[in-house]
Amino acid sequence: MNTVVVEESPVPSAAAKGTGGPRGVAALARFEARRLLTSAPVVFSFAVYILWTVWRTRSSWDGFPALQDADRATQGGPLLVGLGVLLAADFAALRDRRRGTQEWFGTLVLPAGRRTAAHLLALLPVVLLTAVCVAAQFTWEALKPGAVGHGSPAELLVGPLTVLLLGAAGVLLARLAASVWAAPLLGVLYLFFLVLGTGPSGDTGGTAWLYPVVSTSGNSPFPSDLLGRPAAWHALYLAGVALCLAFLAVLVAARGRGVSARAGLAVALAMALTGGVAQSRGDSAELLAARERASAAPEKEQRCVTRDGSTYCAFDEWVPRADDWAGVVGRVRSLAGDPARDRPLLVRQRIEARYGLDSDSAIPASTRRHQVTVGTAWGGNRVPEFSAAVAGVLVAGSEAAAAELCDGRMVTVMWLAVGWEDDPMGTLRRVRLDDSVEGAAVVLAPTDPLSMTAGQTDVVRRLLEKDRDGVAAKARAHWDELTSPGVTTARAAELLGVPGPEKADSCEE
Amino acid sequence: MRGVTRDLVRPVARTVPWRALGAAGGVGLLLAAAVRWADGPPPSTALLALRCAALTGGLGLASLLDDPARHTTAAVPVPRPVRQALRAALVAPPVALWWAAVLLLVPADLRPPAADVTLEAAAVSLLACAGAAVALRLTEGTRPGRAVAGALLAAALTGPLLLPDRWTLLVQPADPRWAASHDRWAGLAVATAVVWALSAREPLRRGRP
Amino acid sequence: MTITVSASGLSLHYGRTRALDEVGLRLSPGVTGLLGPNGAGKTTLLRVLATAVPADRGAFTVLGHDPGTVRGRQEVRRRLGYLPQTPGFHPDFTAFAFVDYVAVLKELTDRRARHREVRRVLEEVGLGDVRGRRIKKLSGGMRQRVALAAALVGDPGFLVLDEPTVGLDPEQRMRFRELIAGAGEGRTVLLSTHQTEDVAMLCRRVLVMAAGSVRFDGTPAELTARAAGRVWRSDRRDAGAKAGWRTGTGEFRQVGDPPEGAELVEPTLEDGYLLVLDGAVDAEVAA
Repeated sequence: MNTVVVEESPVPSAAAKGTGGPRGVAALARFEARRLLTSAPVVFSFAVYILWTVWRTRSSWDGFPALQDADRATQGGPLLVGLGVLLAADFAALRDRRRGTQEWFGTLVLPAGRRTAAHLLALLPVVLLTAVCVAAQFTWEALKPGAVGHGSPAELLVGPLTVLLLGAAGVLLARLAASVWAAPLLGVLYLFFLVLGTGPSGDTGGTAWLYPVVSTSGNSPFPSDLLGRPAAWHALYLAGVALCLAFLAVLVAARGRGVSARAGLAVALAMALTGGVAQSRGDSAELLAARERASAAPEKEQRCVTRDGSTYCAFDEWVPRADDWAGVVGRVRSLAGDPARDRPLLVRQRIEARYGLDSDSAIPASTRRHQVTVGTAWGGNRVPEFSAAVAGVLVAGSEAAAAELCDGRMVTVMWLAVGWEDDPMGTLRRVRLDDSVEGAAVVLAPTDPLSMTAGQTDVVRRLLEKDRDGVAAKARAHWDELTSPGVTTARAAELLGVPGPEKADSCEE
Repeated sequence: MRGVTRDLVRPVARTVPWRALGAAGGVGLLLAAAVRWADGPPPSTALLALRCAALTGGLGLASLLDDPARHTTAAVPVPRPVRQALRAALVAPPVALWWAAVLLLVPADLRPPAADVTLEAAAVSLLACAGAAVALRLTEGTRPGRAVAGALLAAALTGPLLLPDRWTLLVQPADPRWAASHDRWAGLAVATAVVWALSAREPLRRGRP
Repeated sequence: MTITVSASGLSLHYGRTRALDEVGLRLSPGVTGLLGPNGAGKTTLLRVLATAVPADRGAFTVLGHDPGTVRGRQEVRRRLGYLPQTPGFHPDFTAFAFVDYVAVLKELTDRRARHREVRRVLEEVGLGDVRGRRIKKLSGGMRQRVALAAALVGDPGFLVLDEPTVGLDPEQRMRFRELIAGAGEGRTVLLSTHQTEDVAMLCRRVLVMAAGSVRFDGTPAELTARAAGRVWRSDRRDAGAKAGWRTGTGEFRQVGDPPEGAELVEPTLEDGYLLVLDGAVDAEVAA
């Protein structure tokens, strides 16, 4: 007779090692994390995110980032990664059911709630990877030579937390809806409601902060202490919501059993509520008062430094940029004649913070003599705009006077403003609102714009085509007449040695 | 063949993944309804909602050719193009009704030119079906829908980022490129329809159409 | 003997793997068994012959039609029953509705005749009582029989069955053999299997495949004869044995090159199969 001998298994049984507990969860989480990191949606979304971020960051803020804005700029990309993670986490958590293995897995040591917990823990490497990408992007900005200001860790946390939130949403979705179609469809809703069009706009108070990413931004950066973004509360809120979804997923899988999951849900809910309420209180009275002070009387808040006899006053975080400003002032002055050549200027940084972060309110021209306004942004077009303002003040005396220039002095202003550039014609084109070098146009400046007539444009263009030193010598020689009120465009052209406009022109026409 | 087609209508109608289509349709209607209920959204939001609804339609239609009995019915005399066309013909009327409902849900003063967005939606739907047909042609899988839906979603996300300006597809009605972009949409619709028709055919030799 | 299916030079590559390598064969009415290890190319050959996938090269005819043309392929499919290795179903269909669906796809358009035919094949595979039950409620063996019914419906002249007995219990398997033997009367049946007993009990002819090509083509008796004089019994494992195991009596039953004076025993079809495969492997190594 055949005897069947069942040997004692040499492999320690699961029960003996206690793998049903945390160690089993950790092992499964490691396994799922590897699968998640290599799943198609995650790989694809990370590839797009990284390529897009690298491409954008190469030239972001024209190389002169304010780090209190650069931290927020890390939040958009993870929205895409989050969508990929949502899909992948949903598919992974559905895998048991889709392959009909739920009954089989049901007999395994790890109960459903713990398997779900493993799926949630498997999100952590993806979240960590997002954090690394965010940190790399921010570090890159911070290492740019033109960087100023301070980033906020809470703003940097938003990206990774968004990924965690969406991943947890994916796992929860898998526990609520067994269909593989739920996640892509939810993805479209997510795109529509949270990412593309109908996201938070305008008001930064109240319900807007319920969205994961609130990217309030106007044209010009604010000093860090005037931002008034409840970034830390928002990070707490996001973490709370993410944990709520996670614990809900565990509870749904475990059919409501599990004391620790219920306790966790309560704590997470408290976090989400605390953060949610605290973040939506709106701008405090102190903040509004500080913004008022900074806008109306910046001189009380600023620090001043002296370069080449001129004074540069800026909010603390921008003081390092005084050298860049002084460089432009020096070059413009080098083209001017006496006495403007040595006249000390006061360059004052000004902002309009009273209407909030995302308003693009204009700054009125300064009426003080020999004072030039500079904004908080720099690089790119901001340089010739500032240069135009400096030239306007040197010629007309003040920004307000420069904005009203109508006569031949405008020729001198624009020649000073762009003449020192390596590519003066290209700069002239960029600094004009319509990107042209012909016809009448508005010239941008940090405060009120200047305006050029068609005739003045023709003369300036002819000047820029000539030898710079020759024109500069003539400008110095005839400086007094060139800058005297009432000089015509034709006369200015004559003094500078180029043909005048075809017909007499003025800005009144 | 006509008798076969008539007899196939009922069983094929039962094999169409109505639940996935219904879920997608529901989400599409929800998007359009959100525009109707929203407090004075700009027309660009209405257009975005319609485009997202078209995308959900595409996601649903990606499952149109899912057929768990694919291998069991691999060698039957009724050709594959006929079977796929029958499925398409069965879902076309409800999909058309659904799209009309989506369009009508968007308030008339916000609605972009209906014919043009319908062309966009048709192109997206054809793209989904053609993708599923290509997946069936190239793989042995019985349910290509999920992967095709993922690819469609990825294309919708990255297309606007990657397409050069000359080929841009997503513009606003006020944009001067609107007409040109819809020529491209029409081209896309025709091209995907051709791809679908070609990949529905069963090859006589591998690697050849 | 009439030849109903003949093929020559069938080749099919998946990447660098040669799934079929210049396969030629001739089939005549009756059941032909196709044996071979996993990955030998059995399923690929069946799928090519069932027109489910086209070959890279080579040609074949089925019942006088050439599947290399659109019209010819359709004619072949009209005369074909195919049971794939992993049949799929629409789980919400009843057994009757599913087989009826396949029958429509096989162009049985006369509704009453078709329903009669569907009932007949369901009776034949022993599912007459459960034909109204949804497929998702049926057991694995029953689903396999639904797939067989779908292959049999329409009285095809050429029946291609890919491992139809997998997952069936012994009683169901007996029932299946009965069915297939019945189906083989007047039809050409090509049956792939891992079960050598299936072949021994059912088949008039047997093909053995390895590494994409046919290594043996003959009757089961001829396959068994390959092992004549190469199976022996002894009380220890001998060096010349290709395979050997201790039987219930405590002696070793061995296949291979017997030592001098070994106590030879009657070979089985399985012994012949093992030796054919072994020869195939030797040939591979020599090449």
